[in-house]
Amino acid sequence: MPRYFFDTNDGDMLDEDDVGLEFADPEAARRGAIAALPDMARDRLPDGDRRDYSVRVRDEAGTVLYSASLALTGEWHVRR
Amino acid sequence: MPRRRSWRRCGGRGSGPAERRASGNGSRCDTLGTPPGILPLDRMATPNPLILKLQQSGILLDEDHPILAGLCDSPRTVPADTILIRQDEKPSGVHLILGGFACRSKLLPGGEWQILSLLLPGDFCDIHSAALGRSDHFTTTLTDCAVVRLSHEAVDELTLTDTRIARALWWSRLVDERILRAWLTSMGQRRADEWMAHFCCELLLRLQVVGCAEADACEMPLTQDQLGHLLGITDVHVSRMLRELRVRDLLQIKNRRLTVPDVERLRAFCGFDPDYLHLMAGSPAAGARVA
Repeated sequence: MPRYFFDTNDGDMLDEDDVGLEFADPEAARRGAIAALPDMARDRLPDGDRRDYSVRVRDEAGTVLYSASLALTGEWHVRR
Repeated sequence: MPRRRSWRRCGGRGSGPAERRASGNGSRCDTLGTPPGILPLDRMATPNPLILKLQQSGILLDEDHPILAGLCDSPRTVPADTILIRQDEKPSGVHLILGGFACRSKLLPGGEWQILSLLLPGDFCDIHSAALGRSDHFTTTLTDCAVVRLSHEAVDELTLTDTRIARALWWSRLVDERILRAWLTSMGQRRADEWMAHFCCELLLRLQVVGCAEADACEMPLTQDQLGHLLGITDVHVSRMLRELRVRDLLQIKNRRLTVPDVERLRAFCGFDPDYLHLMAGSPAAGARVA
């Protein structure tokens, strides 16, 4: 199966994938990428009101095939 | 006619329990040879993993050893990814792992699956399975394994004639439950990096107890996909966590081997307390327990 590389950013640390994972096709790799976002958000909640989580999928040639992000935003609605 | 199950998961890779020989990733044994990392069967240490494991109960006496050794007389090599016990079917016997890794897993109708426990050398897969009829989970080999198969009758006879062995087997089931509780808590409450670290601490110690690991390293043949199905996180996240833990010099998994530069530091990182494994005082790297 082809190998895809997933670079992830949890808002603190960009992690470049140097090992990769095998998926059947780009569509499957895309699903894998999106599924990783909630995992990252679960582990790293923002101190303030905003954090962005993102992932980028490359193929073995280094071409960026897909990217996705998850934005966590919050705001107070009463005076504090 | 059993319904054909699809083993797909996010990503469409069928790496769940399946009746096929291991393939892909180039990392498995190609021949039915020695299960990875475990002593060849003709050189298996005495006492064997079953005895080493059950000794931890503090219940066995020396005279029980030959009976347990006798159980292990004719192991056969079972290829990776073989279903030993099928979900929803009545198991026809009891399996004892003497070499390699197996696992219990549960499959949902949509193809999602979860590894529920890791079966290591010295572990029985469902020794009391006869009592509950149809199995509620799969038991599958993850690597080529050395497996002894016992009939339910043989197990009954063993437990009726030797009450110490019966109690030691009961002890081992209670420890299995403790491990399951620890996993459940980790899966629900720990951050992924700490959960992975905790799992690695446990694996290293469990393998040391049965003579299958060094002080700071052991076999870890699970693929990232399988690790994801064990930890309950996606494989992309597994990949990221492994890199983070490696960069922090806490652990490294490479070429199917887990290496821990500083076991105490890794334990402190994830709050690993070996007490739940109920090991004897003086066991390798275990906490002290009063027998």
